[in-house]
Amino acid sequence: MIDAFLVALNGVIEPYTLLLMAIGALAGIVSAAIPGFTITMAIVLTLPLTFAMPPLQGIAVMLSVYVGGLSGGLFSAALLGIPGTPSSVATTFDAFPMARSGLPGKALALGLWSSFFGSLISIVVLILAAPPLALLAVKLGPWEYFALIVFALTVIASLVGDSLLRGLIAGLVGIGLATVGPDPLMGRERFTFGYEMLSAGIPFLVVLIGMYAVSQLLSELETSPKQQAQGSTSLISGDMRPHNLETLKAIVLRPVNVIRSSLIGVFIGAVPGAGSSISNLLAYDQAKRSSSHPENFGKGEPQGVIASESGNSSTAGGGLIPLIALGIPGSAVDAVLMAAIMVHGISIGPRLILDNPELVYGMFLSMAVASVLMLCIGLLLMRAFLNLLNVPKYFIVPVVLSCCVIGAFTLNNRITDLYLLAGVGVVGYLFKKLDYPLAPLVLGVVLGPIAETNLRRAFQTSTDWTLFFTRPISAALLALAVASIVYSIVSYVRRSQQAGVPDSNS
Amino acid sequence: MQHVRVQHELVSALQTISYGIIAALAMFLFFRAGSLPTSRWEPMSAGAFPRIIFLSISILCLLAVAVDLFKQGWPKLSLSHAMHRLRRLKLVLLNLALFIAYVVVMPWLGYIVSTFAYLLLAQATMIPKRLTRMMVAVAVALIFSAGPYYLFADVFNIYLPRARLAG
Repeated sequence: MIDAFLVALNGVIEPYTLLLMAIGALAGIVSAAIPGFTITMAIVLTLPLTFAMPPLQGIAVMLSVYVGGLSGGLFSAALLGIPGTPSSVATTFDAFPMARSGLPGKALALGLWSSFFGSLISIVVLILAAPPLALLAVKLGPWEYFALIVFALTVIASLVGDSLLRGLIAGLVGIGLATVGPDPLMGRERFTFGYEMLSAGIPFLVVLIGMYAVSQLLSELETSPKQQAQGSTSLISGDMRPHNLETLKAIVLRPVNVIRSSLIGVFIGAVPGAGSSISNLLAYDQAKRSSSHPENFGKGEPQGVIASESGNSSTAGGGLIPLIALGIPGSAVDAVLMAAIMVHGISIGPRLILDNPELVYGMFLSMAVASVLMLCIGLLLMRAFLNLLNVPKYFIVPVVLSCCVIGAFTLNNRITDLYLLAGVGVVGYLFKKLDYPLAPLVLGVVLGPIAETNLRRAFQTSTDWTLFFTRPISAALLALAVASIVYSIVSYVRRSQQAGVPDSNS
Repeated sequence: MQHVRVQHELVSALQTISYGIIAALAMFLFFRAGSLPTSRWEPMSAGAFPRIIFLSISILCLLAVAVDLFKQGWPKLSLSHAMHRLRRLKLVLLNLALFIAYVVVMPWLGYIVSTFAYLLLAQATMIPKRLTRMMVAVAVALIFSAGPYYLFADVFNIYLPRARLAG
């Protein structure tokens, strides 16, 4: 164990790796600071750049982008009142009023330090939780794995978007897309219709880039550049000094808020489908409820900024728990990280920690180092980030679309993947316009082959289908899946009754 | 308020139609999966899992249609409003068409030329028509077409598509 840790430490603190990680953290902050450019897009576009790197270095860079991205949304949230990413929605509630009142530096520093502490707390939980969970997961059979995936997909479908039915349909469409190409056990071709470009299947990353990046960028064009120019806010002026000592006091002397918010973030991050877009709001809500001055929230209350930013940044560590322990990505970003590891020929699953401990320890260390880099870069370049918020969409959208093309092409060096990218992009845009959640679809593509493999293995072992319901862990997971659907329906009915306005189907 | 209601009705109607389309496609693939050969080595053949998935999709879509019809009645699709919405999306459609053209011509023109042309044209659809902005657009197109090509070729040894027309 110590050997593996030292190998990992040696890999992470290598100057070249640190330099690349610093660039990654900077890229993450920059991308998340630009409204409309999401963390998922940033991490997807980073992936091809890591192909030529050793596995640990590549993962370290991607984790740096991730950690940087989780705090980057703070800049546009605090300075423009526009959340750069969905994970910084709650940050706008107090960071923006604080910045408007002449303390933009303090608002940003509070957010950055909170993100730093949130990340650190999530890493501690990750280190404590992932290895024992992985040891348990090694003992799981195909029945339990299949049940786990059913549970994950139902939770994702019920948590994301407004409609459980559309969430479930999207998840199943994702699994359906994954059945195109060779079947995972016998390699028999399915649904290729004679097209050679489908014979290898639809690559998951092409689906991810098309669904998230292309559809999101097209959506950005719905606001015309003229409207964009009219809507742009003048930059905030005021004290840009970070007041580090004062900021640290505000966090450390009242640790309950940052610890509670971080633990909420870790828990939400570990639940498949939930993520930083939910955790920041939940953490903010809990901070407000337990505050002795809830009336100050929304008017520039420092504890509001702390809760939101520590809540969203800590989801990174939480999301890695099911990925490392079970090989199940809980979010699109985790799925890309999974792909990045698999590109290097390393299989993901509970044996990852047993077979490649240096990589897992390297991931823990990279997260910690990335948090420090994010804090330093954020505090040092605070003023420079102000200018980024004014980059117009007519530059960003075409340039990022061309980067998507690079990402899709470099994956397999196949030009036909670009045609698939365009097709998936169009479908993704239509799904987005029709309010289908994209996260279940993308995760369906990732989880589909795992589900099929385990289901077929289960039946190869025994044709008795009741084993899914008689083995305790499998039965418990399937019961939880049913419970998540029932809960979703009940809460929808309650919401409808309270609002009195019927939405489309739940 | 009226506008929001009409907009909501349009989206609801399109959602109902989308359920029908997805259900039809899923049923087609369900029957297609049934024609896949079975294996004597395993109880579940290559077609069994897709059949479960596509049948589930069809059932869920039909359920969604039923719920929609029960709640909102037959979909009210105002053609004039749909056309109005479509006209408002002309920038999206134009850029989508440019993007599709970009990936289609890339094998013939190569990465650098096609990317340069795409970036220039895409920016031209949105950019304010001023000389300085146009010059910046040309510079952006040049940097982000040639730059990534040489970065990937020289640093990562990954070659982005070269022009077939160049031989």
